[in-house]
Amino acid sequence: MSRNFTPEQTLIDKLLVDDAAAFEELCRRYCFSLFNYCMTKLHSKEDATRIVRNIFISLWEDRHMLPVDFSLSLHLYTEVRKAVIQCLNNKLNRDRDTLRIGEEIIPGFSAIELRKAKLPVQLSANNRLNIQDRSGLKSYEEQWWNKYTPSINLKDLTHVFKNMLNAW
Amino acid sequence: MTTEVLRKKTGRYLCGESVPAEKKQIQNWLSCTGEKDNSISPEERAMIENEIVGQVQAYVASSLFIPKAEPWWKKITAFF
Repeated sequence: MSRNFTPEQTLIDKLLVDDAAAFEELCRRYCFSLFNYCMTKLHSKEDATRIVRNIFISLWEDRHMLPVDFSLSLHLYTEVRKAVIQCLNNKLNRDRDTLRIGEEIIPGFSAIELRKAKLPVQLSANNRLNIQDRSGLKSYEEQWWNKYTPSINLKDLTHVFKNMLNAW
Repeated sequence: MTTEVLRKKTGRYLCGESVPAEKKQIQNWLSCTGEKDNSISPEERAMIENEIVGQVQAYVASSLFIPKAEPWWKKITAFF
């Protein structure tokens, strides 16, 4: 849980001058969400703790080499993704973990589960379209040619006329 | 999918040799964050947070007290 409202960029600037308190604040802001992510992927508290700890330690070690347009959240999530896949590969190479991986992790690779990766974007897009189109749909139903000839719309009629003109 | 297939896929992904479909599959798996575990109580959460921060702090404090020797290339770049 974050303890203060200092902007992230200020904390990163302080990190460059070896401010351990600013670093601790950054750790506290991100560590649980990173831990939670690792837990959902690897189902192991030890691995999740180790990955998050190592990411923050490497951030501290490389603090003087951060690029100018450094985005901490982007950096942390890129690193955690890399670490998760590396950890999974290491686990798969060990025989004792394969059974647990088969039960807990492999179902996540099924097509239905993977579809969830795109679900929030699709849902939000659909919802947005529905909200926008509701008024448009009503007016479409209210138009007299759609009211009296529901099976034929204006687009079909123009298509028929075009075909007739071409034939003529 | 079997663990053996997954092992090969992750191995290729880490080496940068996976085909686009495999890459997409792994990246989609990494992007699936819908199944968040909300069963963790605030106390438990604070405990996990303190544990991780404590470990990191221990490292940071030790690195501040016993700084690493600067590599030769850093000394030369500082000189210029």
